[in-house]
Amino acid sequence: MRNISVIRQILTQFILLLVGLFILIPVWSTVRLAFDGSLRGRPTEFTWLPKEFSVEAFVKVLDRPYQSVEFNVLLQNSLIVSIGAALFAILLGISLAYGFARFRFPVRNTGLFVLLLAALLPPIAFATPLYIILSLLKLRTTLLGLVIVYAAFAMPFAVWNMRAAFQAIPKELEEAAYLDGANHFQTFLNISLPISIPSIAVTAMIAFLMGYTEFAIGWLFVDKADNVTLSMAVYALVNGQFSGAQPWSYLGSLAIIMSIPVMVIFILFQQTLMERLLFQEAS
Amino acid sequence: MQTKTIWRILSILVVLTLAWGLRANAVQKLSIDYDEDDYMRAGQEYAHLIRTSDWSGFLEANYRPEHPPLAKIVMGISFLSAPEEKLVADRPTTSEPNKYLPRPLVKAGRMTNAILGWLTVALLAFVNPLAGLALANHTFTIKYVSQIMLEALPSLTSFLMVLTYLQFKKNRKQSWLITSAVFLGLTAASKYLYCVIGIAILVDWLMDAKDREEVKPFFKQALLWGFLGVIIFFAANPFLWADPIQRLRESVFYHAGYSTGAEEVQRSNYPFWQQLNWLVFSPSIWHPNVFKFSPDFIISIFAVVGLGRLWKKERLYVLWLGITLLFLLVWPTKWPQYILTLTVPLSLAAAEGLTQTWQEIVAAFKSKRPIYNKKETRQAIPWLVPGLIAFAVLTLLPFLFQIAVSLTDFNSASIRDGFQGGIWREVSGGLTGEIEPANPEFPFRSKEVQYTGFSGYLPIFQYVVTGEGVFIFNIFWMVVSTGLQVILGFGLAILLNQRGVKLGKFWQALFILPWAIPEFIGGLMWLNIFVPEIGWLSLAAKKYGESFPLQFLIGWERTPSLWFLIFLIPAVWYGFPLIMLAVNAGLKTIPKEVFEAASIDGADSWQTLRHMTIPLLMPVLLPAIIIRGIYAFNQFYLFQALPFRDGTLANISYNVFNPSTGGGQFAISAIINILTVIILIGLVSLFNRRMQTREEFINA
Repeated sequence: MRNISVIRQILTQFILLLVGLFILIPVWSTVRLAFDGSLRGRPTEFTWLPKEFSVEAFVKVLDRPYQSVEFNVLLQNSLIVSIGAALFAILLGISLAYGFARFRFPVRNTGLFVLLLAALLPPIAFATPLYIILSLLKLRTTLLGLVIVYAAFAMPFAVWNMRAAFQAIPKELEEAAYLDGANHFQTFLNISLPISIPSIAVTAMIAFLMGYTEFAIGWLFVDKADNVTLSMAVYALVNGQFSGAQPWSYLGSLAIIMSIPVMVIFILFQQTLMERLLFQEAS
Repeated sequence: MQTKTIWRILSILVVLTLAWGLRANAVQKLSIDYDEDDYMRAGQEYAHLIRTSDWSGFLEANYRPEHPPLAKIVMGISFLSAPEEKLVADRPTTSEPNKYLPRPLVKAGRMTNAILGWLTVALLAFVNPLAGLALANHTFTIKYVSQIMLEALPSLTSFLMVLTYLQFKKNRKQSWLITSAVFLGLTAASKYLYCVIGIAILVDWLMDAKDREEVKPFFKQALLWGFLGVIIFFAANPFLWADPIQRLRESVFYHAGYSTGAEEVQRSNYPFWQQLNWLVFSPSIWHPNVFKFSPDFIISIFAVVGLGRLWKKERLYVLWLGITLLFLLVWPTKWPQYILTLTVPLSLAAAEGLTQTWQEIVAAFKSKRPIYNKKETRQAIPWLVPGLIAFAVLTLLPFLFQIAVSLTDFNSASIRDGFQGGIWREVSGGLTGEIEPANPEFPFRSKEVQYTGFSGYLPIFQYVVTGEGVFIFNIFWMVVSTGLQVILGFGLAILLNQRGVKLGKFWQALFILPWAIPEFIGGLMWLNIFVPEIGWLSLAAKKYGESFPLQFLIGWERTPSLWFLIFLIPAVWYGFPLIMLAVNAGLKTIPKEVFEAASIDGADSWQTLRHMTIPLLMPVLLPAIIIRGIYAFNQFYLFQALPFRDGTLANISYNVFNPSTGGGQFAISAIINILTVIILIGLVSLFNRRMQTREEFINA
């Protein structure tokens, strides 16, 4: 097969350029706000570039983004909650995933259906009962409470995803280990687990992202300023922005700051993990 | 054989009796509706002309000339049975229903329409008794054939047109074709809208001709059919005889003007998918005394299930349903009576769906239990137990709790009592029958939890599913947004995978960007652009004035259809990268030789795409589509970030629950969540069956 013709090349590039603009327009509309030092409240005129270039909003937001809470505290809360939830979901889900992947037992398919359904439910469906249960346990407003809630969101998905990873391991590999006298647990620990580490890492990353970006349930549960997470603060700024209390540049800059770590993760893992993630999600 | 026939006849008789009972009841009890006065006046004019034998008057009489006269003439004939009354007042189309129409005329006109409606059911019951049962019970159909509306006659004649065409298709006798053309003409002379069904016939006919390789005779016959239809249309339309071209033009162009300019159409402000809402809507909300129960929703659901089977049995009915629905979606006027153009094929599809579901249930009971391995079961237990405990605590327990809450009136005022065991007390008491279900008023405000039983389910079901259109919005949103994501993602992957595309890596890295931005931040970024008054878009419109090409988007928050469009933009923006990556990964797994072979065989790139690439990609693409689809169904953060309407079921559930915005109606939220679960179970089963991927999907 030959390379495509020049006309087709130009046409292709033109379409790709249009889509590229579509991708970048909202990003630019936010960057433009974030770096605009002239904003005192809402923007009042249409500009392509910041009117007065300044990083003041970033400095301000990195100091105290939400009420009197420091940025470091927010970031710390976010990390505790999202990493905690990811670990919880992985550790609790991993044996279940392996059990479903490796053994045939009664009601296995029904169980899988329930699992799938749980993975398909909107998070809010778990939030309402957990609100009441955690209130009963007096954990509702604590960070541990949020960890539990986010772990509950992530768990069905994590089990589903890890099960697919374990299932993909050729059975012969494990059978060879049995023949050498290893028991199930040893086989799992020495054979299946190491092979699946990348998939598990991806699952963990998705579980982490769920907690990192969640805000609605967070605001339902938390009422102490000290326990607010970064994404909750961003959402709070949305309200502040519309009431005109804060310059729109604050929200823009905080949104950018919050997206940077995620983008770094994506760029770092793009080559190796992206396709695995894809096949996992896609299976 | 004998007993089967007897059963069939018996079931047809039951359907006919039921259909008549329901229609006669509706004739008696329905309140006077919009437009009934208009068509009554038109009928009165004709009745007067007949009484005075003023036959030349037919040339000039046609009150409300936007509709052709045949159905109105039929009304006029029916009025002959009642004493003549003064003409009812001529009022604008915007006015409220006229409550003071003469009762004898109302009864005569409605009865005639009901008989025509009943005949349609009778014909359908002979084709398929179960479909007849569905149509007999379809509430909107009953309503609009039991009022002085124009729907009853064209529904009957259009169905006859289809049936006679089908006879022609079967035995190729010209006489059937001529009969079909006559009914086409009569349909056109009753109400233009029903002519869309004729398009479905032409499509089926053309497909049939292609299969037989008789395309040339098809054009000749079809032309003849249409020509004959036009002649009959003119013959049955005396109003046109005096000045055919001009009067037909006025009549037809009225609709174009009406649909875009009429005040009542503007005021109703329906979204463009409103007709789908009418298909699951329950008119019993409007007429609680006439219709105790509306099966319209159930009929539509089963119709979706049965489409495939109906296609195999008789393709034309599916074409009829599809083409009419498409037309109704595009047509700007959204009155509910228009769905009568498609309730016949809808009922047929529902009948097939019901049969299929029943057969599957029977088959599921008969099938052998799956084999399992005792040894493996024993080995599995230690693996399963710890995870199951966690799963039970984090997922199942909350879900059971949710069910319990949905049976009470638990709310933020009774939170203290609920926490001290009130929910358990009431639910256990209620289920054992010790506590009578209370019937508290909404919004729930009681300080103590009360058992309400299932009484909360029906109103909430009516609100979210059959009433306000949230359910249809949710499904429609899922389909359209996922569809656009697939088209964009697929197209881009194909473009990027052409040989020798420059900058491929760069573009791909850029296109993944939306995925790396948290969804609600992405939503906020678009909010910066679209928010009314102060967004980038509004500011640009202010700066550039009328010449700004996106001016039409200003004020989007007031028009449901534009609102839908605006929300689709961020959803597609955020969702297409996954599809693009899936296609990309899939393309890598297809060996290059496959394409080379296709190219040697002389296939052009479109043929290669259609017959090689897409089928080979399906296994990778389908799960990605399902994931995006379910995600769109539950879309939450986007609607929460751009809070201008209800959004999805998840948003409503959250906002009802949230004590600071919705008054902490925990019980209502729980009911919505459980309805969501039920809907999702239905959707997943439907997906599973449709795609025949149950095994692959579950065992992947």
